[in-house]
Amino acid sequence: MGADFSQPQRQSSVGIMVMFFYTLQQFARALWPMIVIWVFKFEEINKLYLTIGIITVFIGIGFVSYLKYLNFTFFLDAENEEFIITDGVFNKTKTAIQLRKIQQVNINQSFIQKLIGVYELDVDTAGSNKKEGAIKAISHELALELKFRLLENEAIKSEIAIEETSLEETEQKLFEAVHPFIKISFFSLLKVGVTSNYGRTIALLVIFFSTIYENFQNFGDESNVYKEKVGSYIDKNLVLQTILISIAFLFGIVLVINVIRIVFKYYNYKIARQKGSLLLSFGLLNTKSTIIKPEKVQITTVKRNYFQKKLGILELKIKQATGGEKEERKSIIEIPGCSETERDSILKLLFHKIPEKRLTLKPNFRKLVFSVFLSIGLPLLGFLGIGYWFEPLFFEYSYVMPIYAVIIGLIQYFKFINNRLFIHDNFIIKQSGAWDISSDIIEPSKIQAITTSQLYWHKKLNIGSITLHTAGGNITFQLGNYSILKQQANLWLYKIETSDSNWM
Amino acid sequence: MKNFTNETIDTSQLPKFEEVTFTNLHPKYIRVVLINLVRIIAIVVLVPILLSMLKPELFSARVWLILGIVIPVFSILLVVFSIIGCKKKGFAFREHDVLFKHGIIATNTIVIPYNRVQHVALHEELISRYFGLAKIEIFTAGGSSSDIEIPGIEKEQAENIKQLLMGKIQKQL
Repeated sequence: MGADFSQPQRQSSVGIMVMFFYTLQQFARALWPMIVIWVFKFEEINKLYLTIGIITVFIGIGFVSYLKYLNFTFFLDAENEEFIITDGVFNKTKTAIQLRKIQQVNINQSFIQKLIGVYELDVDTAGSNKKEGAIKAISHELALELKFRLLENEAIKSEIAIEETSLEETEQKLFEAVHPFIKISFFSLLKVGVTSNYGRTIALLVIFFSTIYENFQNFGDESNVYKEKVGSYIDKNLVLQTILISIAFLFGIVLVINVIRIVFKYYNYKIARQKGSLLLSFGLLNTKSTIIKPEKVQITTVKRNYFQKKLGILELKIKQATGGEKEERKSIIEIPGCSETERDSILKLLFHKIPEKRLTLKPNFRKLVFSVFLSIGLPLLGFLGIGYWFEPLFFEYSYVMPIYAVIIGLIQYFKFINNRLFIHDNFIIKQSGAWDISSDIIEPSKIQAITTSQLYWHKKLNIGSITLHTAGGNITFQLGNYSILKQQANLWLYKIETSDSNWM
Repeated sequence: MKNFTNETIDTSQLPKFEEVTFTNLHPKYIRVVLINLVRIIAIVVLVPILLSMLKPELFSARVWLILGIVIPVFSILLVVFSIIGCKKKGFAFREHDVLFKHGIIATNTIVIPYNRVQHVALHEELISRYFGLAKIEIFTAGGSSSDIEIPGIEKEQAENIKQLLMGKIQKQL
């Protein structure tokens, strides 16, 4: 490959265009109130001045972007093993990123970049929430090459030697590396779109339903006489029909929006393998590409609901280590619409074997009782209390109470039934959820700390809770057999403390 | 390879974290907590008194009655729970990990292996310093929920603990 990153170099020259658009965007964002005023006063403004003004602004921005382009350079310092970016027109900034600290290198393409035909390269390290280095305009081959170099710094010297001997071989290698082993088809995405996000759909339906009903009630109050005279039979039928049609219509709209959103986000999802890492790329307008190193993965979640099970698809979520100490940022990577074999091959790549389940722990029935008390008992008591002491009108809506109790009761029941902790020598799997059943998979070596907790009246019952803290979030299992949990905690601690296993 | 063995682990023979004897916080620490509580209670008592001096019309006999019941009950509960909470806190340093126990209604025990500790901080607050006490904070990569804060340790001991932990971390690296 001809690319030599040891000398400072600029972005690709069409990058000026990208800079231009981005600067224009910044200006537009900063000045939008003025622009709005101008639009409204379009008639009153001297057209000549306006044209001159616009041209000046454009030339100015063009000049600024040219300067930005001139002053932006990047190179690989092989000696100190650093990637160095210098930028800034007046205030110069020099960013040096140590190669071994690089966590992720993403190649993205926004809409503007797609139009111009360049890519963006982001370098991400643990340690801060910002993207440390971003190259806004770079050709695809160069981006791939740079990514390759940034991530394979240990092998850099041998790599150069090989490159010198045979150019074509390396190219072949690169091609192989980028060759995807999983592609998620358009059809799978459609399936995902149709079967996911029911919660949102139902919430929307409930809101819609209640508004309609309220209006209907009001209507009834005002025209009681009319209603009685004409007879409610036809009226009711018509309303019922309208409501049913509207529900179907609304449901359709939500589904369509869902499908469109998912297709836009995940179109052409490709997963490739490269030296033990996973290379992902997806997106219709903004193409995103990320790399996952298995050792940085903390929690892997497999999620699916009843319909998805019937259709043979599932969703994978991969949580990597969060950046700094007190940062909430979690780099979650989603892979929608995998088949079971695809899931297995991804899990195999991440864990080197397929997670198994050996010991199964169930929560005590008190967990169900307690969550029913919290989610049904307390709200109903509150409802009765308010109705009794403050607002007797509340009781007119008391028909809501049994409906609420049944729906929430069912949800809590399924949550309880699905809540399980599976323990295996190399894996801990926590299963949870009422409709969307998700399994969080972690390896014991990823545990940072363990918290055990027991209420004092649960001592005799021998039940208690455990929380496993990882760098990608916590996993909590409540009201399980406490002596087994304690024994497992001891075993996990023993494993962590006797090995130097790398959690990141 | 010669020394490599792979015997089955007898999980019942493993050291048990639940059988560790915990060190309680320094007895003087209760005074620190009480002084802090007195400050809070003083504010709760003084605010209505000051308000009643400025705007007497706001405070009817009924309001005084409610305040007169709520504030003492609240204060007594706060003091009792703080003292119990203080007594329930305990820490232990094992060969390979640090344990911290806390909680009144529920007993929570958090265990951090030394090879997962990111860094250690030592804090001295004003009142604690007067009693010669310090607080140790132990951070992991697992976010704020998995960090340990051990208050009420004698300054010298705290320094020693910090040195110990730093030594352990260095060794791991």
